Amino acid sequence: MKHRVPALVVMHADLATALLRAAARVYGVVEGVEVLSNEGLSREGLEREIARKVEGWTDGGLVLTDFWGGSCHVCGVAAARGHGDVIVVTGLNLPTLIDYLHNRDELPPRALAERLLQKGKDSIRLHDGQLA
Amino acid sequence: MSWVLERVDDRLVHGQVVLAWGARLHPRRIWVVDDAASPWERDLLKGAAPGIEVKVVTVDEAAAGYAAERDAKGGAFLLLRDLQTALRVVEAGATIRALNLGGLHYAPGKTKVNEYIYLDAADRALARRLRERGVSLEVQDVPSSRPQPLAALDPETATP
Repeated sequence: MKHRVPALVVMHADLATALLRAAARVYGVVEGVEVLSNEGLSREGLEREIARKVEGWTDGGLVLTDFWGGSCHVCGVAAARGHGDVIVVTGLNLPTLIDYLHNRDELPPRALAERLLQKGKDSIRLHDGQLA
Repeated sequence: MSWVLERVDDRLVHGQVVLAWGARLHPRRIWVVDDAASPWERDLLKGAAPGIEVKVVTVDEAAAGYAAERDAKGGAFLLLRDLQTALRVVEAGATIRALNLGGLHYAPGKTKVNEYIYLDAADRALARRLRERGVSLEVQDVPSSRPQPLAALDPETATP
């Protein structure tokens, strides 16, 4: 097995935990993914918590957050600074998280992040029109 | 039009500001007052609110530009990370009349006012000094929540 890309899911309220629970219903048992809520944390506090979790990622990893411009994203980027190939992905949804789980043992962090970016875009679609 | 939200929030640019207040008030500019922001922090903040110009300024720059921004076209947000910064901007000459308190989160020594406002004795003294300078302080995290005077939630911010 290649090196597994670690991930930390950082989101508002209980969304990270709920998303992981939902992923387990589709994917099966999920191991090795950490979650963190921004609830009650200042900017410095959240940044410190994220930094503490990613500091052991010697070969890089992914910080998966809910939306661009939110505290999870901003603090994730700040915390990832200086930690090598730690990449922040925003706009995570359930298909993207499941795709991460399927591919985290196959791709290095940068390629995996690029894959998730495309997966996220592709997963939002319109089902237009009526069925016959 | 200009100043449409003047807010004390230790998270500065974040979801409530961009997605909630931003969607309601449609600012053209966000002024972030932060004397200590490094070049990379400035870059990060400037890119955090797509479609809105984010200016990261010092206390002196905020005070110097306050009146001109008030008369500028389009709405603007003023974001201050704490009450100390707010008082410094006022003392430097900005004629702020009201501040929204949107997030001062827990830190050791601070006590709870509500779910998102925690203050210590120094904060309460700063709040009183702001009041003495004619600045009203109102607690409200997002537009859909009910604004409440800080003094009603924490009388020590009005009278020691």
